Amino acid sequence: MLIEIFGTGCAKCQTLEKHARHAADQAGGGHQVVKVSDYPAIVARGVLSTPALAVDGKVRSQGRVPSVDEILGFIRG
Amino acid sequence: MTECCPPEAPPAAAVPRTAWRRGAWLLPALPLWFLVYSVLQPAAGYLAHRLLGLQPGTRLGDAAAFFFYDAPKVLLLLVLVVFLVTFLQTFVSPARVRGALSRRRSGLGNALASLFGIITPFCSCSAVPLFLGFLRAGVPLGVTFSFLVAAPMINEVALGMLFAMFGWRIALLYAGTGVAIAFLSGLVLGRLHMESHLEDWVQEALRAPAVGEVEEERPGLSERLDLALDGVRDIVGKVWPYILAGIAVGALIHGYVPQRFLAGLLGRQHWYSVPVAVLVGVPLYSNAAGILPIVEALLGKGAALGSTLAFMMAVIGLSLPETIILRRVMRPRLIVTFVSVVALGILLVGYLFNAIL
Repeated sequence: MLIEIFGTGCAKCQTLEKHARHAADQAGGGHQVVKVSDYPAIVARGVLSTPALAVDGKVRSQGRVPSVDEILGFIRG
Repeated sequence: MTECCPPEAPPAAAVPRTAWRRGAWLLPALPLWFLVYSVLQPAAGYLAHRLLGLQPGTRLGDAAAFFFYDAPKVLLLLVLVVFLVTFLQTFVSPARVRGALSRRRSGLGNALASLFGIITPFCSCSAVPLFLGFLRAGVPLGVTFSFLVAAPMINEVALGMLFAMFGWRIALLYAGTGVAIAFLSGLVLGRLHMESHLEDWVQEALRAPAVGEVEEERPGLSERLDLALDGVRDIVGKVWPYILAGIAVGALIHGYVPQRFLAGLLGRQHWYSVPVAVLVGVPLYSNAAGILPIVEALLGKGAALGSTLAFMMAVIGLSLPETIILRRVMRPRLIVTFVSVVALGILLVGYLFNAIL
């Protein structure tokens, strides 16, 4: 599953990336964490506040840092 | 503004917690808060005058008493204000505001945008996606500007702190003038039709098709309370050094700056007091909460209210970091116009209040 982090490098974006990687590890098996820091790409995805998180193409959280458990919940659907 | 990206939207908590259990934990916290708050003044006097042996009435004694009283007081107020504000903010996401502003005409649109700007969670790191997201959804440029001026200038935490420290009159004055500046700046900038002064990549991004989908988050009460607690941890954890620095400066002003000097420089009878306040305020980059102890000390030393308000708005409403971020989307002429219009608005407010109060 594709896990995308939208953000331009503020401290919160880095925390979110760390949480997402932990969650991906815990979920096990072939999840890919990608960082999107390009403004046009962020805007095209409909993100209004960063950091944002998308799982499997769907933006699930914006402007906050969800916990590892919460991200696990998104991954397991 | 430095309390970057406050939690705005809700989590579907992985472990469901009930609202009443949250509430049971929070309820005793409130009386405890009032108890601690009520003993601050005597405790500070005891600490400064008895334990440290600094005489009341001396410069050092007064400065120390101000610091020992103000530091815990401001921090306590901040905890309460941030909790309430973050809780309220879980009801107002930027996406909802955008929906309400989309395709509004100027005038009503500017007024709504300025009002929404008071409470909407906003941080400068999100300024670009927000700006573009608004324009893409058909929010007119002038209306977007109203929002972009109001959101940082009327800082919701500063507003709550003003109310707690100086009463509703000054809080209302701050919010009212901030809304007026945002409304007028957006109206003026909208009339100037400066769409062509957005950077090329922005114009392209505005035309690009949308991809993917966005899920709207809908938190329950216990999740909102959790978010508010996260907000307190996060914001208070980040801004306390600014506050202590602000209180230290305030204490120095309180103990050492002669009344005649400040009243002379920032008093209402001088035409230059407002521009001086703005010029000093713009390059100063402080946290909205950190500026309040300085405001408190300035007012106590006879600075005029209009000049002090102008100073505060210049510090938190026109910040250099935000301007640099916005430069990514705006060509120089637009950014200069933007900053000048807002600065002009702040000057007007300063003169107005010095004249009528």
